[in-house]
Amino acid sequence: MWYKLTIPLILCFVMGLLAFVHEFVPHPWSAAFREEMTTWFRIMGGFAMFIGLYALLHLHVSRIRRQQAGWGYSAFVFLGAVLTIGAGVFEEIRAAVHDVPESAFSPFDWLYDYVQVPCQATVFSILAFFMASAAFRTFRARNLGAALLLISAVVVMFGRVPISEEVGRLAGAWDIFPRAADWLMEYPNMAVKRAIYIGISLGAISQSLRVLFGIERSYLGGGS
Amino acid sequence: MSSPPSQAALRRLAVTRRIIYLLVAIAVAVPTLSDLACDFKPSPWAEKVFKKVESLKPGSPILLSFDFDPAAMEELHPMGLALLRHCFKNDLHPILMTHWPSGVGISKQIIEKAAKERGKVSGKDYVFLGFKPGDYNLILNMGESLQGAFDKDFYKQPTQGMPALEGVRSLKDIPLVIDLAAGTAIEMWIAYGRDRFGFDLGAGCTAVITPDLYPFLSSGQLIGVLGGLRGAADYETLLKRPDRATKGMQAQSSTHVLIILLILGANVHYLSRRMGAYAKG
Repeated sequence: MWYKLTIPLILCFVMGLLAFVHEFVPHPWSAAFREEMTTWFRIMGGFAMFIGLYALLHLHVSRIRRQQAGWGYSAFVFLGAVLTIGAGVFEEIRAAVHDVPESAFSPFDWLYDYVQVPCQATVFSILAFFMASAAFRTFRARNLGAALLLISAVVVMFGRVPISEEVGRLAGAWDIFPRAADWLMEYPNMAVKRAIYIGISLGAISQSLRVLFGIERSYLGGGS
Repeated sequence: MSSPPSQAALRRLAVTRRIIYLLVAIAVAVPTLSDLACDFKPSPWAEKVFKKVESLKPGSPILLSFDFDPAAMEELHPMGLALLRHCFKNDLHPILMTHWPSGVGISKQIIEKAAKERGKVSGKDYVFLGFKPGDYNLILNMGESLQGAFDKDFYKQPTQGMPALEGVRSLKDIPLVIDLAAGTAIEMWIAYGRDRFGFDLGAGCTAVITPDLYPFLSSGQLIGVLGGLRGAADYETLLKRPDRATKGMQAQSSTHVLIILLILGANVHYLSRRMGAYAKG
């Protein structure tokens, strides 16, 4: 109990308080503390990447072992990770053992350029197809609010592309659509975004205080 | 509770979806493969970023943070290339980094391409720092000591005494930072970078993120923003060097018009059905 609950809560309170207070102390010790603390955070971030990798591989290994539905995809994840890590480690060892010219074939770069880049770019690009289909099926002027949203979306979508300027020229005011789109973005959109940001910030402050004072303990794990 | 859709309705939906996919493919492919062109005026926010870069004296450092991966490359790759071409054209010293491990390769490709075009040399004319974990802690670290946060560049050369970093000890010595992001890195650069260390901050992002940044433009925390492919095309136009983004504008125009027509068509059909049902009582 002492190790699992009390010490983490004390650590969290002390470090949280120090991180908060040092912002208001213009002293070299405060700056040194910040530098030291951020370096520690970065080191912990590096370890967190290893933990993330372990968690990912552990999850997919258990899926393969249990032969759950879609376990073939997990095998593919595993294969990809092993190949990429293997290529990276191989290159580091090769560079350490002897001088490698810049033009030398790099399996890691090959995997990145010819597997990761096209795969990720393709997945993101096909969103255009889904978005067009979803917009066609769901954008309906069912009531006043939905109609306003629909009109705004059409104005912004049209005002953001060059063809709107060509159409505007025919109407005698080339920038009528871009200006309408800008107005929607700079006034109604910004007002809503500000409200959302203020809400998020207040929520973050209250949540931070709850963590600092040990009221919120879910980050310690172990259920309630 | 509404009844589940019939088999016929589901079949009709599947056919409609295929037709829409085909139309989108045509709307993208035809302008991309043709040499169509249309003029457009760059947005004022893009102009502000361009003018700020233009105002820097030759030899000035400029930090570029490419916080994206290949998923966002269609929008942000041309933007990054245009920005770096501008930096090298004006003999600035770009310092490039990324917060995304999967963004290292793409950042390297962009800077090496732009540098090769102008015969610029790593370490002398530019620095590629690569990736380090830490997110906002890395920014805070860089605000204390850039060389402390990155003791070596991507090519394993020590950053201490590097000619391209002459006079740069921390973020406080950098007049302009531009973050190209596909996530929430811009907000991070505002809160932990710009507001603490006082540099000017410009942004470039995927179109879907752009609306989130308007409050920061209005408050002056961002000097300007390049939004999506249009932002990249705006920058290419301002640089007077049209490239992939400018060409992509034709495909984007036709796809947007197609989506608008689909939405309007679907609504005309929906309203006519509702009016028909209303007339029948």
